[in-house]
Amino acid sequence: MTRFIIRRVLWLLLVLLVVSFVTFALMHLVPGGPWSRDKQLAPAVVAALNAKYGLDKPFFVQYANFLTGILHGDLGISYSYQDRSVTQIIMQGFPKSAVLGAAAFIFAMIVGIGFGMAAALRQNTWVDYLCVMFATIFASVPGFVLGILLIIVFSVGLHWFPTGGWGSPAQVVMPAMALAALPAAFIARITRASTLETMRQDYVRTARSKGLLERVVLIRHILRNSLIPVVTVAGPEFAAMVTGSVIVETIFSIPGIGRLFVQAVFARDYGLIMGTTLFYAFIISIANLVVDILYGIIDPRIRYD
Amino acid sequence: MKGKTVLFSLLAIVIAAILVMAPACSSASTTTAAATTTTASSPQILRLNLGAEPDTIDPNQASWADDKSIISQCFEGLLSYNADGSLKADVATVIPTVANGGISSDGLTITFKLKTNVTWSDGKPVTANDFVYSIKREFDPTLACEYASFYFDIVGAEDSYNATSDTTAQQAALAAAIGVSAPDNYTLVIKLVNPQPTMLDCMALWPVYPERADIIKQYGNNWTDPPNYIGDGPYILTTWTHQSELVFKPNPNYWGTKPTLSEIDFQEITDPNAALAAYQNNELDIVGLPVGDYATYLKDPNYANQRLLFPELTTFAFQFNVTKAPFNNVLVRQALSCAVDRNAFVNNVEAGVGQAALSWIPPGMPGYNANIGTQYTFNVTQAKSLLAQAGYSDVSKLPTITFSYSNTGSNPTIAQFLQGQMQQNLGINITLDPEDSKTFSSNVNSGNFMWAFFGWGADYPDPDDWLPGLFGTGAGNNHTGYSNPAFDALSTKALAELDNTARLSDWDQAQQMVMNDAPIITIFYREGFVLEKPYVKGLTTTGMDGALPGDTFYNLVTIAAH
Repeated sequence: MTRFIIRRVLWLLLVLLVVSFVTFALMHLVPGGPWSRDKQLAPAVVAALNAKYGLDKPFFVQYANFLTGILHGDLGISYSYQDRSVTQIIMQGFPKSAVLGAAAFIFAMIVGIGFGMAAALRQNTWVDYLCVMFATIFASVPGFVLGILLIIVFSVGLHWFPTGGWGSPAQVVMPAMALAALPAAFIARITRASTLETMRQDYVRTARSKGLLERVVLIRHILRNSLIPVVTVAGPEFAAMVTGSVIVETIFSIPGIGRLFVQAVFARDYGLIMGTTLFYAFIISIANLVVDILYGIIDPRIRYD
Repeated sequence: MKGKTVLFSLLAIVIAAILVMAPACSSASTTTAAATTTTASSPQILRLNLGAEPDTIDPNQASWADDKSIISQCFEGLLSYNADGSLKADVATVIPTVANGGISSDGLTITFKLKTNVTWSDGKPVTANDFVYSIKREFDPTLACEYASFYFDIVGAEDSYNATSDTTAQQAALAAAIGVSAPDNYTLVIKLVNPQPTMLDCMALWPVYPERADIIKQYGNNWTDPPNYIGDGPYILTTWTHQSELVFKPNPNYWGTKPTLSEIDFQEITDPNAALAAYQNNELDIVGLPVGDYATYLKDPNYANQRLLFPELTTFAFQFNVTKAPFNNVLVRQALSCAVDRNAFVNNVEAGVGQAALSWIPPGMPGYNANIGTQYTFNVTQAKSLLAQAGYSDVSKLPTITFSYSNTGSNPTIAQFLQGQMQQNLGINITLDPEDSKTFSSNVNSGNFMWAFFGWGADYPDPDDWLPGLFGTGAGNNHTGYSNPAFDALSTKALAELDNTARLSDWDQAQQMVMNDAPIITIFYREGFVLEKPYVKGLTTTGMDGALPGDTFYNLVTIAAH
């Protein structure tokens, strides 16, 4: 197991290196640069800006400088937010995206697994149809539509929650619901399919025929085994939710890092693009590693060497 | 039974959680809620939406409108603008003129006398040395301040700014040679290389607001975070939650008349629909509207006393690349200009908000002339006749025309309007080319377009910000490729003309030249449209506001009892 983890960590570093190079190259190949704007800056100003940020150096020198910076823990400077470093910007935004993502994740798991199992255990009854219907609705309604609908109904209409912002528990509820909708639907479908398959296994029939209580069969046999595929998707889902959704964060004005990804690209903010992309790659890689380790714990048939 | 139990128990947990949180949270938010009880008076708190996180609020380095909105609250400079666009003296005692000796007769030396009672928010006095420090810092080669080029007529400014690869000692020597000095604590002398008649306009802008050398040296980049952000304006920035909100409170050491508002909140809600919902939920007092909603809120009687329309010093146009056929033929350009129904544009695309534009310089600033461009009043017959003169009586002989624009905001609607006009009025089918914002800017700046969207907003209210930089041969913002030696000669003369009447007359002639040659088709002068709660009183909009209407005069705003 230890050898496995060490190997995976080395892979992680290689993946991050490749991601950093590909992103760096694409960033510079894309038309338009950070100083392209409708009111063109004076040539002296563009020259001074390029000198300040090292953009007048050859491509590989810039990349080497970037890597050197990373080794010292410095993710670079942002062109969009000149008073803060990229590290500061990400560290200020990430906790908020993380809290929102964690809340949404918990919500998605509870609703997804609950609906999925209920649908499977009561297959082809009204319970099943109801759960599948909800799952389809959550999966079909686009995030921004759901977000605005929630604001209109629960904020402007009922005055239960503020329309957005961050700082109090009330402000987590609606964005978490909006963020959890699609993953919940996805998890519900997977759980349902997996539970159906598990229920038909021989060992479940054996357990029942041995006279075990249905509750015991459910918890000790069906639940654990049906969750294996769910754990596989839960890892990347968690990583995606924790790094922030640009749509939910924009609609609910949450100062997380989700918005930063997209804003940085539109602004050609090279420092912020590299920082957020690497951060995201890192989180996803760690999440996948954790999932693989959990996999080995949940399913005794799987052994790593 | 088990399936139902699982389902119901989970639903019950979720719903219970929501119900527990809901009543406790109806007033919890990061914004400070204005009191909604009907008491004799209401808290003097103004809540607004800035929209975006500012880039930087360091006056020397700032260049965007939302940065300006913040800086205006915390700083005051030598000069500023009245609501009608005329200059007024803030920290300066009077506006320097040749008559009062503030400007030398050759126009090369400007002397400001400072008021002696102006203080920083920590109580220290504002002196001429604070201005000298700030103005020299604008030309610091390591900072790359974006507005520095506006001040390159100051002696030594450009040399200092360009010394990016010099040694520290050389850079220091160049900084010392900049023509800005303080012979005593309350006198500031500026020496110019050329007599720039609009230098006073530039001195009213934020890049030359005073700054505290000791604070910036002590805190470096962190000086713009509260509580280090020391200014001399009516407010102090007390809180800045990045990406979320900014809060201003009155400056206890403000030298002028204390404002009535006890707090100003700038939210950072980037989605315009979410901002509108916040306004409707009484979390904001003023909110901007997306263009697509103009018609709805102009008609809705519930908003009758909440509508605020105000002119902006902004003109929108369509620019031709005059180096590419068929736009290298002036007759074709003039023809297309006659074929656009500008009134239909304002009514259909902007819901009547704004004014049709036949000339370039908008109303509300010197240089506006309603008589310029009248030859382009909508007239399809005239358009067809001009096309025939150009050899295109059969429009199918025209090369394919592509119209480029940045795929943001209401630009797609504007582009479709143009496409419709060309098709309807002349039978010409143009191709639309939407592009990502930076790609579009990059293409336009390199001349990689045929016909493109174009807009310009005033940096300061004077024709020399609207003409030479856009229509001079090879000028920095000349993307059309327009080149007219007569225009260039007139520009050179006007840029150094100290007689204001003669100068404005020169610029008027220059604008006429440009409009006759039609390198651009002007379409409309933009107006802003926001919703404002009826209890907000005294909001005064000007052409030099930042991102928020009236943000240069929040000291005049009061909140009526509600």
